[in-house]
Amino acid sequence: MELYLPIAELSINPIIFLILGMLVGILSGMFGVGGGFLMTPLLVLLGIPPAVAVASEANHIVGSSLSGTIGHLKRNAVDIKLGNLLLVGGILGSFVGISIFNSLIKIGLIDLLITLTYFLFLTGVGSFMLYESLDSMGIFNKKKRPKSYHHSWIMGLPIRMRFKKSGLYISIIPPLVIGFVVGILASIMGVGGGFIMIPAMIYIIRMPTSVVIGTSLYQIIFVTAIVTLLHSYHNQTVDIILALILLLGGAIGAQIGVKLSSKLKGPMLRASLAVLVLSVGIVMASDLLIRPDETITLLIGGGSH
Amino acid sequence: MKYYIKIIFMLTVLCAQAPLDLIIDTNERDVEINPGISGTRVVLFGATPAGQRDIMIEIVGPPKNQTMQEKRRFFGIWLGRGKSNYKNVPSYYNILSSKPFLKITDQENLNKLGLGIDNLPLGKANITHSKIKQIKFDERLRSEMHDRGQFIEKEGNIVLRSGPGKVGLFRTEFLLPPNSLQGKYFVRYFLFQNGEAISYAESSIDLKQAGFARLIWLFANKFALLYGIIAIMLSGLLGWVVSLLFTRLKLI
Repeated sequence: MELYLPIAELSINPIIFLILGMLVGILSGMFGVGGGFLMTPLLVLLGIPPAVAVASEANHIVGSSLSGTIGHLKRNAVDIKLGNLLLVGGILGSFVGISIFNSLIKIGLIDLLITLTYFLFLTGVGSFMLYESLDSMGIFNKKKRPKSYHHSWIMGLPIRMRFKKSGLYISIIPPLVIGFVVGILASIMGVGGGFIMIPAMIYIIRMPTSVVIGTSLYQIIFVTAIVTLLHSYHNQTVDIILALILLLGGAIGAQIGVKLSSKLKGPMLRASLAVLVLSVGIVMASDLLIRPDETITLLIGGGSH
Repeated sequence: MKYYIKIIFMLTVLCAQAPLDLIIDTNERDVEINPGISGTRVVLFGATPAGQRDIMIEIVGPPKNQTMQEKRRFFGIWLGRGKSNYKNVPSYYNILSSKPFLKITDQENLNKLGLGIDNLPLGKANITHSKIKQIKFDERLRSEMHDRGQFIEKEGNIVLRSGPGKVGLFRTEFLLPPNSLQGKYFVRYFLFQNGEAISYAESSIDLKQAGFARLIWLFANKFALLYGIIAIMLSGLLGWVVSLLFTRLKLI
């Protein structure tokens, strides 16, 4: 069975992409990540031109994160107020990110920046989360420290607000700044930014893990919708057929993921996400360090017609 | 796999006064391909003067921009910084012949006539952040296009037969892949005798993509903003419907 993708301009086997969408959807519903950091490299590996992969992936995540958010809303696990705050920062950041992106294209350093951000954030965030979650599971045989409920000084900044769902009374400045920084990184890397946002929500804002996933998914809906619109308008690289196939699998997967996430304990959930992020980082790193077979290659999707 | 067979008649008329002239009478040919189907098979056939003769046919597709990337080590990391940007690289090239090329003519003649993948003009490239000469990028571009089946060079796939009287017949076919760019495909015929090109003719095929996929492509390019909004809404709608189904039907 074959299906032709009108924008990617190639024929694919839809079954493979349905299954792929479902697997990434399960991860998305479980961990609250959009899954872009996993899906985009996989799509490129399957022959989709990178520009089309990034744009269609953003379009796919709109639907899968909506499906996941509805699942979490039913469990009362979305802090919409805090989510909106992160979102405002995120949107401002993504516009700044896009202008950085464009100026780096001009001096030919964009690949260096993309590769380094991917590598640093995947391995950095991954290993920190892994250490922390194993630590709180008592793996390192240390005396379990009582969890600190003291907020760091940053949370004591002015303009405080009460976030009932998260049980927090904190300054609105840190969420705005975090949203902004993640927005910049996300638009440079071409992902929703869930895998950076989630650790920041847990370790800096200290939101309860149960609320983090739904809230992250909630704001990803809007970030990816904007990314889809920008790509569609400027580059015409959104393949609606590809996105809908991935989504059909992804939306089903997300529901399964939501179910699974309520069964896993907090530290266990964080440890699994950490292992996942870390392994993607390591695969990418090995790709950077090993000498390629051919140093000169055709850049697919590098030209337009 | 279904193939849609489109037949293009190439009629070669021989003039009595100049028996070695190759004249082609060709109508404007429009070929429509549906991208969902596995490709379009095009059959070329016609007539030539009888006797010792050979034919080479090249098909050159519409131009496309291409970029080659050079990876170099920066602080121990392999990065693709060097770029070579080409304008007007043929999106499709196919050369057909009645015998192995070097049995028809010599290399010098092939170079002079511009026949074969190695002689295909790629134009001046715009090279940035790289010290590599264009010839090196060209070489890799040709070989990558060949590996992807977009530049094709197969020797000895034109069948020659003797026809009635002093007329010889030839027949060959080639496949246009389903993702072929739409536009003009130039078909060039070279008639050889004793190693020399004695006649030349040219025709073209106008390829148009048809079907639902084509409509989507047009929509995405002509109404980019509206397309983006619809893409977001469709994606959101499907995500919502699926989550609704799961809750209503209690699937898990």
